[in-house]
Amino acid sequence: MQQLANVNALNAQALKPAVEIRGLSHVYAGRDGAVPALADIDLTVGAGRFVVIVGPSGCGKTSLLMMLAGLRAPSSGAILCDGRPIAQPDPSRVGVVFQEASLYPWLTAIENIEFPLALKHAPREERRQRAEAMLNLVGLAGFGSRYPHELSGGMKQRVSIARGLVQDPPVLLMDEPFAALDEQTRMTMGHELLRIWSQTAKTVVFITHSLTEAVYLADEVVVMSARPGRILDRVEIALPRPRTYQMMATDVFGRLRERIWGQIRTAP
Amino acid sequence: MTRPSPQTARRLIGLSLLVLWEAIPRLGILPELFVPPLTKTLHVLWLDRAIYGAALLVTVSEVAVAMLIACGVGILLGAVVGGVAGIRKLMLPVFSSLYAVPMVILYPVFTAWFGIGSESKIVFGGVYGLFPVLLSTAAGIRVIDEQYLLAARSMGASLPQLIGRVIVPAAIPTVLAGLRLGGALTIIGVVFAEMLTSANGIGYLVTKNRTTLDSPRVFAAITVILAMAIVYDVAMRFVERRTLIWQSAGRREAATADLPEMPASAAA
Repeated sequence: MQQLANVNALNAQALKPAVEIRGLSHVYAGRDGAVPALADIDLTVGAGRFVVIVGPSGCGKTSLLMMLAGLRAPSSGAILCDGRPIAQPDPSRVGVVFQEASLYPWLTAIENIEFPLALKHAPREERRQRAEAMLNLVGLAGFGSRYPHELSGGMKQRVSIARGLVQDPPVLLMDEPFAALDEQTRMTMGHELLRIWSQTAKTVVFITHSLTEAVYLADEVVVMSARPGRILDRVEIALPRPRTYQMMATDVFGRLRERIWGQIRTAP
Repeated sequence: MTRPSPQTARRLIGLSLLVLWEAIPRLGILPELFVPPLTKTLHVLWLDRAIYGAALLVTVSEVAVAMLIACGVGILLGAVVGGVAGIRKLMLPVFSSLYAVPMVILYPVFTAWFGIGSESKIVFGGVYGLFPVLLSTAAGIRVIDEQYLLAARSMGASLPQLIGRVIVPAAIPTVLAGLRLGGALTIIGVVFAEMLTSANGIGYLVTKNRTTLDSPRVFAAITVILAMAIVYDVAMRFVERRTLIWQSAGRREAATADLPEMPASAAA
């Protein structure tokens, strides 16, 4: 089983890259002059991989994700998604799930999921159909007519995931999507996310503060340093899939977690 | 004995005020010149119904046009002030200060400009009600959650879509609150202007009958104005309830629990 996973990982690496970051640096204008936020980021994410980015607060993880989403332009360097540069948001290539539920409170769950399709003036029938399919995928069948405030935190993030996936983009970016959830819900959601991921074969770039979450979810954990953010280490997580909660208690899991923690703790 | 509901209590208080209105002058506690009894007031209102009806029609039509000005100009200016940072920094302090200026001092100027007919009442009422609409619209737009805009941009929203599908619906609750306040001020402005210089309208009837010490007819006019204000408020509440159905829909049963946690064995 373990070997199988390793082989899978190797295969995945050989796959054509879904996301390529080349020589990316970012400097923003602060109060006291230029502040380097990201430096020399090179990262290639193979199609279908689950990559988690961890690092201390203010290491520019979120900036990096914004750039991957096309919401912010880097000072220098290039980002390719699906082989083509990302210059502006393109939800058919990159779906984004944000930290806190950024659902629109005046729309029902299903209308929220339809939102990106509505922006593209997709026909009503098609919109509803695809949104319903997404609702099923995230395990919320029957909750479509609820407004966000009628849903729990975990359910809201399910809707956010459905909205991110509704245009079937090859890449899904997630910015600490479960950070606001309680521990139990967070575990459940991590597990659910892996189920959805295995059903949809998306490439996921996931940002988190939780090392346990990182190791539990990832094929590979990218460790970043404090500002300016650099890549300190790339840790291959060779735990077999499907992942189980029991794995968290194993030595392998503990050692991986320890290795990442060591990097972050000693990070300059 | 159980405590009556707030609604019942409210009605009881209203009813007892009406009874007091009738009883206090009848019992000689206050002279009828100060407070004519309710029935007497209603009686003259009925006798002069043609006069009061015509005056009400004048006032209502002035209020309607004034509200159109207050809401239209207020929302437009408020949107610009709230939405464009440069203009906001320049103009918001000015508008906030103007709101504190007692508009009444400008009324003589308005009569000089627009005469003592309906026009000056309309303009005065419109300007009087403009500022709360403007300021609440500006506030409603300024406090829109940044996440909403970011999410919409990540889904590929264009600027018109951002405005039409995110900013407008997100600002509606605050704008409606402003309209309710601004509309009420418009009524005050118009009636007040009629009381100062005019030959028509409900406010004019108050002034005219006061000079002849005809208390019942003064109170009849006051009653009509009160009724107008109450009708407006009730109508606005109704509009708010209908428009903001998404805010209250969840009261029937707010979901607090997430879906049942998946058993760990299911993943193995």
